[in-house]
Amino acid sequence: MDVPSEKRKEFFLQRLNLRKSTRMVGLFCFVVATVIIVANTSTAQETGASPAREKEWAAMAALPDFSGVWIPDVKDQHRQEAANMPPWKAEVLPQIEHMLAEEKAGRPALILGNCLPHGMPSWMLITHNAFEILITPGRVTLLGEVDGNRMRRIYTDGRPHPEDPDLTLHGHSIGRWEGDALVVDTTAIAPQAYIAISEAAGVPNNGDMHIVEHFHLVKPDVLYDDLEIDAPKVLSATWKTTRIFRRYPERHFEITEGECVQEDLKEGKDQFGNAIFVPNPQRADGSVRPVQ
Amino acid sequence: MISPIRFLMLAVLALGWMSTASAHHSNAAYDVDHLRTIEGTVKEVNWTNPHITFHVEEDAKDGKPAVEWVFEASSPGVLTRSGWTKRSIQPGDHATFRYAPLRDGALGGFLLQVTLQNGTILTYSLTPAEQ
Repeated sequence: MDVPSEKRKEFFLQRLNLRKSTRMVGLFCFVVATVIIVANTSTAQETGASPAREKEWAAMAALPDFSGVWIPDVKDQHRQEAANMPPWKAEVLPQIEHMLAEEKAGRPALILGNCLPHGMPSWMLITHNAFEILITPGRVTLLGEVDGNRMRRIYTDGRPHPEDPDLTLHGHSIGRWEGDALVVDTTAIAPQAYIAISEAAGVPNNGDMHIVEHFHLVKPDVLYDDLEIDAPKVLSATWKTTRIFRRYPERHFEITEGECVQEDLKEGKDQFGNAIFVPNPQRADGSVRPVQ
Repeated sequence: MISPIRFLMLAVLALGWMSTASAHHSNAAYDVDHLRTIEGTVKEVNWTNPHITFHVEEDAKDGKPAVEWVFEASSPGVLTRSGWTKRSIQPGDHATFRYAPLRDGALGGFLLQVTLQNGTILTYSLTPAEQ
């Protein structure tokens, strides 16, 4: 029996469409599989499987162990205040002597009263609060307590200082490992950053300050920061001084979050009942203002 | 002559400066050589950096009315490392407060030690070896 030519044509077209669909499905599967393979490959690289990255992190193990929470030796800070005065220029010394006398008389100058970060080198010199050191490939990071902005990024990836840096309170720091010491070179520090010898005595560096530090462990949990400070606008010579930081691994200390400006505020409500901060008045000497 | 609106603006600016420009400070305004003690009830706790503040109502006694003191202490980090928590003393707690008074005699001081009614003594040190 002859199949009518129209029916044959229809049957043929149906088969053709079916084969087309099959091919399309096949092509779709190929594309999906390719995408999955490529995605998996790049994910593997991003999550740390590359040999270069493994080598970079393995090299970290050979570095001295500076990581963890360090607490300044405040008693030694006070000893240094008396025993190792910076070589102030003649015109600067009377300012310092006046501030020391005022502090002794109970009228402290508010040299760090505006809640900006202490900056360099005052953070290293006089802070009473802990900081945390993180060591990662190409960088050492110091995270401080009390100021949300108290942070130093020390680049150890071989980069130079920028040619035309923006000046900041912590400056621009590059570091290199020399034996068991981390040598840090800091420039581009804002002229307003204080060289503070106590919380109530110090002067702004006034520009062109250059600081070189050697961080090194003298015991497993005792870190020295040997500082050499050149501040040609206020110091007559390089000032060399050391600050001591201690680690207490058995105490599980952690850095607490906090903003310096918090004490200027206290918890309150706005007219809608939203939780907000409201002013917490303080006296001119920085202490809290008693309610009369 | 300064207009009333301008005066008000200047006054607001001045108050704003006074209330926001002094958190980092030396403790030299407090007389650490002449420590004192009061007994009172905690009214308010501000667990804040860089210094914690406690408002304390001193007990009325000997015919003197109750007065409110404001005590500063060190930072949350230092007190936490010394074993305190933000709940160590709470509004309503009655306790004995040892402090370095403000040199000018105002009702404020730097808090050094708290003795709770159950005998617990809370103190702190910047130096963990002394804690």
